[in-house]
Amino acid sequence: MRLFWSIAGVEARKRMSYRADFWLSSFVAFGTELGVAYFIVLAMVPVAGRLGGFSRDGMLLYYVAIILTARIVWSLDLDREISDDIYQGALSRYLLYPVSYGVLKYAAQIGALAPAIVQVILFSACVPFVLGLPEGIRITPATAAMALGAVAVANALHFLVTYPIRLVAFWADNCWSLLWAHRLVATLFGGLLLPLAMFPSWSQPLLNALPFRYMFAFPVDALLGRVTPVEYATGMAIALGWCGVAAVLSAGVWRRGTLQYTGVGM
Amino acid sequence: MIRYLRLYGYFLRFSFSRAMEFRFDFFFRIFMDTLWYGHHLAFFWILYRHTPLLGGWTMDQMFIFAGGVFLADAIQMTVLSNNLAMLPNYINKGDLDYYLVRPVSSLFFLSLRDFAADSFVNFLMAIALLSWSLVRYPAPLGAGAIAVYVVLLLLGCVLHYALKMIFTIPVFWLHTSFGLREIFWSLDRYTTRPHGIFTGWVRRMLVSVLPFSLIVSFPTAALFQGLSWRLLGHLVGVTGAAYLGMLWLWSRGLRAYASASS
Repeated sequence: MRLFWSIAGVEARKRMSYRADFWLSSFVAFGTELGVAYFIVLAMVPVAGRLGGFSRDGMLLYYVAIILTARIVWSLDLDREISDDIYQGALSRYLLYPVSYGVLKYAAQIGALAPAIVQVILFSACVPFVLGLPEGIRITPATAAMALGAVAVANALHFLVTYPIRLVAFWADNCWSLLWAHRLVATLFGGLLLPLAMFPSWSQPLLNALPFRYMFAFPVDALLGRVTPVEYATGMAIALGWCGVAAVLSAGVWRRGTLQYTGVGM
Repeated sequence: MIRYLRLYGYFLRFSFSRAMEFRFDFFFRIFMDTLWYGHHLAFFWILYRHTPLLGGWTMDQMFIFAGGVFLADAIQMTVLSNNLAMLPNYINKGDLDYYLVRPVSSLFFLSLRDFAADSFVNFLMAIALLSWSLVRYPAPLGAGAIAVYVVLLLLGCVLHYALKMIFTIPVFWLHTSFGLREIFWSLDRYTTRPHGIFTGWVRRMLVSVLPFSLIVSFPTAALFQGLSWRLLGHLVGVTGAAYLGMLWLWSRGLRAYASASS
């Protein structure tokens, strides 16, 4: 465990030393994402009306929360690091370590969260002054604690779901397209693009069963007081179940991949 | 001109033969772009379940707009993307020398050398989706209006290229493209949304200083509302200004380029 946090610390220091262009691009990315969502909400939701259970301000708050949640869940992409380790033969040294490669990389991902957490705190601090607390939204210490737990699981779930995709690098020359495909599916079915309540009613059971909701929308719903304790417990159980499935799948892909890994790069 | 066309023919032949060496990536990329199309269409389809109009356009009109976004993106990904992605590396490592000593325009060579053959199938898919959205449109659009739309869309692609270069060329002085490239990709989101949803100073910015809304949204507006001299002048004027600005920046950048020590 000490090794885990030591790796996370090294990664955090590395990421925090990024230069001004990194912070500038982060601000622009946040502003643009929120700007597009803001105008879509304005065009969609009447001033006094409701949509998907949200008032106009409520939906804006949902978008702010989910964009910030996504930053923590995604962390900073280490996608290429894993595939590059495989392509360039750098994986060999990790195979000699007495710790699992996946655990090492997850520790690095946790460390890489540092700038994202700083950004989330900064941006979140501005929200009450801009939006206030819209009608029908209840944020309490209890919902905040529930959301924190859900975000931690969401981060692990995202890593575990994408890990076997990154390991496709053992067989394919470029797994970037697959990761991007996963991102598209996750943003749509995770509620990052639109609140899931806007999806047709027939799709709701499917959305609840798939892992994507638990990566983004679920922590936000927990924060905004939109899930009951029973729904929260059920959701966390489903998310943890998906973590287990992804971990088993990852172990299988890792075993098959390392069997044919030559250690000389591709 | 013929010399440039023949040279481009060689680029194409080389790019296709190289793409077929990496078959996994070839199919992964088709899969990814297919999902991207589905992602966009699903987004608008869900939105229109809750509203009859978005930014003044119906769902049928929005599908044509989405088809235009797909085609503009496919042209960018197929013809330019690989080349512009490599440009910062060439500048920082001094590899630009190789292009500067060729007896052709360095900008032509650098921008068009690598044709992304693995995106070519998606280019065909984008054409098919745009055709489908035009065919299913309930009112007659007219061949002339569609031809004008396609020409304006190509003009939008030129504007997109110029904007992307403007965000890339500062690497001559900054030595890193990370920040500006990320900013460009963030702002490029505005290209994928109709300009009618934006209001106030944001809208004014998106049709002038950061003209991302002109790339697809204006050609689509011309298709539905008819081409006015004002709209055409605006699109041509902004595209021309962006292109000339890009050429000026490029010449300044080349002057600042110090080969391997850059």
